[in-house]
Amino acid sequence: MKTLIIDAEKCSGCRSCETYCSLKHYGVCAPSKGRIHVVKWEQEGTFVPINCMRCEEPACEIVCPKHATYRNYATNAMAVDTKSCIGCLSCVFACPFGATFVDGDTGKVLKCDLCDGDPTCVKVCPTGALTFEEVSKEAHLKLLANANRIPSLVKKAIGEE
Amino acid sequence: MYGWVGKILKIDLSSGQVTTEPTEPYIEEYIGGRGLGVRLIYENYVPGTDPFDPGNPLIFSMGPLTGTAMPGSGRVDVTAVSPMSKLRAKSNFGAYWGPEAKYAGFDHIIITGKAEKPVYIWITDGRVEIRDAADLWGKDTFETQKMIQKDLGDPEVKVVCIGPAGERLVRFACLITETGDAAGRTGMGAVMGSKNLKAIAVRGSGGVKVARPEQMLKRSLEVIQFMREHPAYQELSNWGVARSMSMMYDFSFFPVGYFEDVAWEDIINNYKGPEYVEKFQLKNTGCFCCPNRCMNFLDVPGLGRGVTSCEPWSGFTGGVWNLDMDVFWQATLLTNRLGMDCTEASASIGLLMELYHDGIITAKDTDGIPMERGNKEAILSTILKIANREGYGDLLAEGQKTAAQSFSREALEKVDQVKGLAPHAYEFRAFKASGLGQAVGHRGDPLPLRSSLLEVDWHHAPEWFQQVAKEQFGSEEAAIPSEYKGKPLAVIISEHMERVPDSLGICRWLYGLFIFNDVEMAANYFNDVTGKDWDVSRLLKTSERVRNMERMFDVRQGLRRGDDSLPKKFFEQPLSKGRYKGAVLDKEKFEQMKDEYYQLRGWDKETGIPTREKLEELGLKDVADEVLDNL
Repeated sequence: MKTLIIDAEKCSGCRSCETYCSLKHYGVCAPSKGRIHVVKWEQEGTFVPINCMRCEEPACEIVCPKHATYRNYATNAMAVDTKSCIGCLSCVFACPFGATFVDGDTGKVLKCDLCDGDPTCVKVCPTGALTFEEVSKEAHLKLLANANRIPSLVKKAIGEE
Repeated sequence: MYGWVGKILKIDLSSGQVTTEPTEPYIEEYIGGRGLGVRLIYENYVPGTDPFDPGNPLIFSMGPLTGTAMPGSGRVDVTAVSPMSKLRAKSNFGAYWGPEAKYAGFDHIIITGKAEKPVYIWITDGRVEIRDAADLWGKDTFETQKMIQKDLGDPEVKVVCIGPAGERLVRFACLITETGDAAGRTGMGAVMGSKNLKAIAVRGSGGVKVARPEQMLKRSLEVIQFMREHPAYQELSNWGVARSMSMMYDFSFFPVGYFEDVAWEDIINNYKGPEYVEKFQLKNTGCFCCPNRCMNFLDVPGLGRGVTSCEPWSGFTGGVWNLDMDVFWQATLLTNRLGMDCTEASASIGLLMELYHDGIITAKDTDGIPMERGNKEAILSTILKIANREGYGDLLAEGQKTAAQSFSREALEKVDQVKGLAPHAYEFRAFKASGLGQAVGHRGDPLPLRSSLLEVDWHHAPEWFQQVAKEQFGSEEAAIPSEYKGKPLAVIISEHMERVPDSLGICRWLYGLFIFNDVEMAANYFNDVTGKDWDVSRLLKTSERVRNMERMFDVRQGLRRGDDSLPKKFFEQPLSKGRYKGAVLDKEKFEQMKDEYYQLRGWDKETGIPTREKLEELGLKDVADEVLDNL
């Protein structure tokens, strides 16, 4: 299964992801309607995109009193049935990542649907901060990358470098 | 409405009155951004009003494409009457403020009047609040932004502000947003300071409606892919302009010192900009929704963090005979934090260095600091003294001419300005279209124009660019630096091209200079967003209307043909070395270029004033009646 992976170190803070998200879903350019959000410390040069983590035990789903939040097993994305959503925002506050957003016009919840398995934000991200990859493959690559660092860290620790 | 959000906001700081009017009646003729901004200042400025009088309107103009998802949609055009020239000012800044202002509900913001005490303006979702800025007064631009975000309890508020230079009415003070995006030229910070206005904070939850969203998304995916593969994108997004500096000096396109000469071997061979980037660049950043990251975000331990782009890379190096990149970075951060135009600041320092070099001034004239070429103390102290209006800095804050005048008549003779501004730091002796564009330009520094950069591109592949010139600008000679022929038409076409992105609220680097070399892509996006079906020629015709409108504003301010000139140095002092050794502007041929320029424009050759016939053709009869009939 593929998922959206964020590498914040690469983010340039351009907000294309937010704006194209709103264009794709609502035909309007409005970052406030984006289902991804970039938190910016512009004077530090630090930018962190925040998006649904598609948790194995999703707090948003557990707390929803109307069962409006559910998993779309075709994409593994968490979906929101806006007809059932009553706008109580329980999921917004339950999310440990702050990755559930609210549509200011309707008062209802905005959740990343991974564009049905072909995320627009990934296509427009200029720096590769957002990628859409196989979870197991990426996890393995991450493992190898970390393992690679160990010999040199050991040498450093024993003062050979 | 699609594209435009529909409202022009008017704030009178004297009375506190806030009003709005619809954008729609103007858009067919002026579009938005720079184009509509010039109409607004024409209507809102009463002739004879001093630039520092409360009546001088300060106007922020977003365009119909500002804040849309297309690459490079973060631009804002700023105008007022300039305290440097008393002509129409024009500045333009990027980053993230413009889109936010549109999301808050406004296409244009007109600020008039003067607050009794320091204030800042807070605009959010259609509401306007004038807030106390007593604590902010005296703070630099970085601190100011953070304090306002804290005051409003929202770190995502976008702020454009002035620094101490603007508060003290340094005539070339600028506006700053984030760490280095500036409305740099023509003294907009001083106008803002004269209104006791420290900053404008914006935040909006609205959006920009798109008429053809699917088409726009499809186009963008193609454009982004195209850009990624473009060599200019690859270079700018990794290095900014740092790696092109040595080449520009080698081409003799960038002047060294105060337009003293070119081809300084030390800078051609030992320019350390790229090494500095490799060592200290945290990442490259860009404006709103722009994949092209042309700003270098540098983090130099002990000196500070922030972004820089284009001009400081040459202004604070070759412009002041400096090779020490730490000094370049300190000067850049200082001007950004204090809020002053780096171009005019480096030129002012350059002037002092030349006066000192020629023995016209001594250290006594500059508070004991010897203005030796490249002297670190000379560079950094001068910047601080200008912002603090201390000693000789107080004179420079009033402008290069005022400072020179106080030294001697000989010093005044040395000042190189065009229409009250330091000209763009290009070498006009060897590059004739660049020279013409500069001389006739709307503010004394209209560059970079495509016709100017074409003369640089030409060195890479002469025959190829001569063909490009023939197709786009009417003659092969238009691309050849040393040729006078074909330049007037090339400058006119370029002037119309640059006004398209400026009026749409998008980046002219992308849509007209580096990525797309014409305005077709900008036109495509304009139609996707607004739902109109304008062709390129209609957009260019609008640009011609805007150009004539700008000219008529300045004619009303007293501008005539004689003001369309360059410092005499460029006609009298040939280049002593480099690949254009011996090059100098021929006065007669230069004036002939101007003749041709005015004729092609439909302007009177003797006075440089647009003719009634041309103005009426462009639908500017009201302007002709008011201005021409009152000359």
